[in-house]
Amino acid sequence: MPESVYVLAVYDRQYRVFRKLLGSSLVSNVANPILFLFAFGFGMGSFIDTMSGMSYLTFVVAGMIGYSAAFAASFETSIGAFTRYFLQKNWDAILSTPVTLAELMMGEILWASVKALFSAICVLVVGWLWGGVPTSFEPLLTLPIVFLGSICFACAGLVATAYAKGYEFFAYFFTFWVTPMFVFCGVFFDIGRFPEFVQYFAWFFPMTHLVAAIRPLTAGTELDVATIMLHIIYIVVFSAAAFWIAHRKLHQRLYD
Amino acid sequence: MESTAVITATNLVKRYGKLEVVKGIDFSVPAGQCFGLLGPNGAGKSTTMRMIMGLSEVTSGELKVFGEPASRMRREIKAKIGLVPQESNLDPDITVQENLVAFGRYFALSKSAIDQRTAELLDFMQLNDKKFAPVNALSGGMKRRLTIARALIGSPEMVILDEPTTGLDPQARVLIWKQLTELKKEGRTLLLTTHYMDEAQRLCDQIVVIDNGTILDQGTPKELIARHVKGFVFEVQKPNLAASSENRWDQEDIGDSVLYFVDDTAEFIADLPEEAIYLHRPANLEDVFLRLTGRKLREN
Repeated sequence: MPESVYVLAVYDRQYRVFRKLLGSSLVSNVANPILFLFAFGFGMGSFIDTMSGMSYLTFVVAGMIGYSAAFAASFETSIGAFTRYFLQKNWDAILSTPVTLAELMMGEILWASVKALFSAICVLVVGWLWGGVPTSFEPLLTLPIVFLGSICFACAGLVATAYAKGYEFFAYFFTFWVTPMFVFCGVFFDIGRFPEFVQYFAWFFPMTHLVAAIRPLTAGTELDVATIMLHIIYIVVFSAAAFWIAHRKLHQRLYD
Repeated sequence: MESTAVITATNLVKRYGKLEVVKGIDFSVPAGQCFGLLGPNGAGKSTTMRMIMGLSEVTSGELKVFGEPASRMRREIKAKIGLVPQESNLDPDITVQENLVAFGRYFALSKSAIDQRTAELLDFMQLNDKKFAPVNALSGGMKRRLTIARALIGSPEMVILDEPTTGLDPQARVLIWKQLTELKKEGRTLLLTTHYMDEAQRLCDQIVVIDNGTILDQGTPKELIARHVKGFVFEVQKPNLAASSENRWDQEDIGDSVLYFVDDTAEFIADLPEEAIYLHRPANLEDVFLRLTGRKLREN
């Protein structure tokens, strides 16, 4: 059974490295959402009065929270983790200690999710200061949901790492996984505007569920707790499946 | 007193598909000794080590580490082993000291234990000046010292070293030998692979020579030398060779000259013609190794 002390040991190493780069990380995490919110909230927002019954800025803030978490978590466990595994051989070193593969993966996922949550909080704060978050308390409830979503994206990133033979592979991962989450999953517009088959496609992505779950909370619209729970369940099941696939493949590659 | 075995391999086999890399070997590593696993590249050494670490599955036969099957190694057993891999896999994103601290955490040591061990090991491997340096700023010798220090963080009962001094300068090698001898004195078991026969002769109590996945011979360095190359070697240039028939002396033709392995030097010198040009030296483990594994290049 995985034990937390070993998971946290892996997490701690990541945190140490991150602390050295805190400055640049903070800048990009804050600057990125400001650029996006500016371009979409003001640029596009001036053409669009409302989206799904709310101001366009309010609509986009929820989407950007989800997307920044998705991007941060995906990057960390794909290109980031692949570098540690394949290039730097950190994983070989760790697996020669009492840490198991499952614990190593959990440590990577935990760190990626915390980092993603940090990104999401930056967007939330910027969005709130910008006037895109009309309520004051409910948005905090998005954080645990965003954290679960980040775990899911981190697990999916590890699947990519498990199957990657080189860095080129991540071009597919970003083109067919990360970018669709940006365009199809309700970040910038209501997916109800897509033809029906595209909507089915969109609901496959955990991103769609995450954005749908957090938008009522940041926008202050009517809450449907049962629907939010269903989204969360989808995200959890997806994470478990991705973790299992990644673990199976990595075990094949790291042990012979 | 017969000491207990830390590792026992019985008819150990490893196959990758149809390729048999380890072909049924038997050996046992006694506690508190330095055990050398010698063989040319591709002999099956690294595969054997991976199986001992539980990183590679045993195809058939039995491999026990601290009395338990290596393929289902429990965490408590893994914590008793420190590995010094051949290729450096130090963490390049953090400093020398942080590398030790991170490893201490992988071994689930307490914070105070980590601080104490880190200070001791920086001292032991003479890395105190480089404590805060990033790993990439270290020379090859320092990296190897750090890798050894890292393997020792959990005070392991057994340390596995895969070619610990390959590519290092003589000063660095001498320091590492000294510290490995120190580890042996502390009662730790060492499992060592090396291509340097002087290193094996100096450090190892027991040696197994392995090639093509089978064991060619095993014993103490002295036993192996006595068994295969006698006491002394004469390298005699052609064409002025020993007068007696070829059967009298244990010999090997190596091209321009012939090697004679002899016990009694005076007797042999008497058998050489006046004009003979020769080199005379005590036999060593390198002679054993080359006799057992042949002189053909292995890289092809």
